[in-house]
Amino acid sequence: MSLLEIKNLHARIGDTGILHGIDLTIGRGEVHAIMGPNGSGKSTLSYVLSGRDGYEVTEGDILLDGESVLEMEADERARAGMFLAFQYPVELPGVGGMAFLRAAVNARKRDAGKDEVDQLEFVKMVRAEAKNLGIKDDMLKRPVNVGFSGGEKKRYEILQMALLKPSMAILDETDSGLDVDALKIVSEGVNLLRSVERGMLVITHYQRLLNHIVPDQVHILAGGRIVKSGDKTLALEVEENGYSGLGDAA
Amino acid sequence: MQPERLYKTWADRKEAAQSYLESVNWPNGQTEAWKFTSLSHLSDVVLNPPKQSSSIARAARLDGEVLNFTAGLAPHLAAASLPAGIIASDISGDKAICHKAFALLPDNHHLTALSASCQTAAVKIEIAGSAKIDTPLILQFTDGKIDEASHPFIFIDIADGAHLHLAELHEGASSLSQPLILVRLGQGSTLDHIKLQDEANHTTHLGLTLFRLDGQANVNSFSVSKGSQITRMETHCFFAAPDAQAAMSAVYLGCDNQHHDITTVVSHEYADCKSRQLIRGVLDDKARGVFQGRVRVAPDAQKTDGQQMSRALLLSRDAEADAKPELEIFADDVVCSHGATVGELDETLLFYLKSRGIDEAEARTMLIDAFLVDTLEEISYQPFADFLRGQVSGWTARQTGVE
Ligand SMILES: Nc1ncnc2c1ncn2[C@@H]1O[C@H](COP(=O)(O)OP(=O)(O)O)[C@@H](O)[C@H]1O
Ligand SMILES: [Mg+2]
Repeated sequence: MSLLEIKNLHARIGDTGILHGIDLTIGRGEVHAIMGPNGSGKSTLSYVLSGRDGYEVTEGDILLDGESVLEMEADERARAGMFLAFQYPVELPGVGGMAFLRAAVNARKRDAGKDEVDQLEFVKMVRAEAKNLGIKDDMLKRPVNVGFSGGEKKRYEILQMALLKPSMAILDETDSGLDVDALKIVSEGVNLLRSVERGMLVITHYQRLLNHIVPDQVHILAGGRIVKSGDKTLALEVEENGYSGLGDAA
Repeated sequence: MQPERLYKTWADRKEAAQSYLESVNWPNGQTEAWKFTSLSHLSDVVLNPPKQSSSIARAARLDGEVLNFTAGLAPHLAAASLPAGIIASDISGDKAICHKAFALLPDNHHLTALSASCQTAAVKIEIAGSAKIDTPLILQFTDGKIDEASHPFIFIDIADGAHLHLAELHEGASSLSQPLILVRLGQGSTLDHIKLQDEANHTTHLGLTLFRLDGQANVNSFSVSKGSQITRMETHCFFAAPDAQAAMSAVYLGCDNQHHDITTVVSHEYADCKSRQLIRGVLDDKARGVFQGRVRVAPDAQKTDGQQMSRALLLSRDAEADAKPELEIFADDVVCSHGATVGELDETLLFYLKSRGIDEAEARTMLIDAFLVDTLEEISYQPFADFLRGQVSGWTARQTGVE
């Protein structure tokens, strides 16, 4: 059974249709990349997969581990293993970082019928993961994302992914806003999380991320449809020729 | 404010109060001061003085020396074992003291008139300057019945250089609860004060607490309004000398069809005083919240620093919040600011939390707590902060259903 199956997915925001029939299957251990011009529907796809309110599926289905998630709320999907690293992580003034991370981890533990994490042990675990990603202790003490730079926010997303250990991770333009060094650190963090158990959908506008996180398959999204799929060389093709022409192939 | 009329005796004052009340009856939204809060429902009920009844013993949830006002009646003070340095006396028989005390309260004011006219208790509490009092003094207001009105008056006189931790806990069940607390802070004295309004859901609470500060005095006050059907909670601060400070913040929590009116009046009469107010409201169901904040800066009150910020969070489409900041500034060298916002829980933030596996109820709780957290940090005395934080988070948990 595939980990994630997207079948003929049509979705709209309000009255506007954005996704017009997407088919995509991701198996455990696979990393797929989605590339596409701005406005092609990449973020919309990530929100529809994670169950954001206001994003309505009008046709098709999304299966996680063979089960449709369409009737599941965002939090249920997350506890079932779905994770979204946001293109634009939001600031949560007044919500302490550690309390937030613990609430997220405990929500999964409770669902799985396991004991909640011990506070001291949790802090140690977070510190260790944070160190790998070059996240300073001071950042962990602040309210979620408040006062973080763009790059720090992206690292914090990957930290959450490392702590939550999702089965299906969606990374929406995790590379945007990162300088070369930060891109390296974040990519290494992501690569550490590649495993035979986990699927990843890496959304990006540029090919350069895919030099670090090498995908098994690359899909080009244009106008709410996948217009071309191939192996990693497709990304290089796009790099050379741009997206023009690909959209018309649909 | 109109100029103070001169009353020779308490009897004069009481008579004037009665004729004032007869002339205005219950405010019904016609007068500016009561624009958002109508008390016309009180004209339909017969309000009786409370009957003496034995209080239901309650486990103290806050450590301290408790004076219990049952149904608005004075406690048996001779039996109270107060720490050295605190002297409490019944002044209901001593009209001269009441008369002097009332001269420190606003005139032509509905709540002071009500109190002068209908007092059910009058107690004076003196705090000696030399005493070192660590135990908080807790004024607890309990019991009372439907059709009863309680009008306790308490005058707290803090001597120069003294310090007091004072808690007002309003947990009664009278139809009308009208506590009037006057606190005079002597020179260089300090006060940590909290007020909790958690009365029965049929109660109309009309509270007034007034601080009158001498030079270098400092009050840190925090109110939480969460009970009653209709609440008007007034907190006044009168700077009677230069170089004093007041922080008087409040949180109101409304559900069902409750009405919470937080009204503050800060009078900067002298130079170099500082006032600071953070007001936060959370309103669910069909609840209504009102914040009226008047800051007056007299012509001589130069170098006044007056800050005021109010924010309301609406959890339901049927909830409503109004804010009316009023700045009357007659001095030119001052720093005064005010602001008021009304908003809802941000769907984007909710989605972010939910996308991490946190369920709707817990996510909402986290965001409501986040909205209130910095305000609660204003409370300087830790046991008071912990107590009120518990009150607030208990309310939030109940509303969101995480319990
Ligand atoms: N909230 C919204 N309401 C209506 N249209 C939207 C909304 N968000 C995005 N869109 C539209 O959907 C399309 C896809 O946007 P998006 O998924 O953000 O693209 P990408 O991530 O590929 O840049 C764009 O045309 C955009 O204008
Ligand atoms: Mg996008």
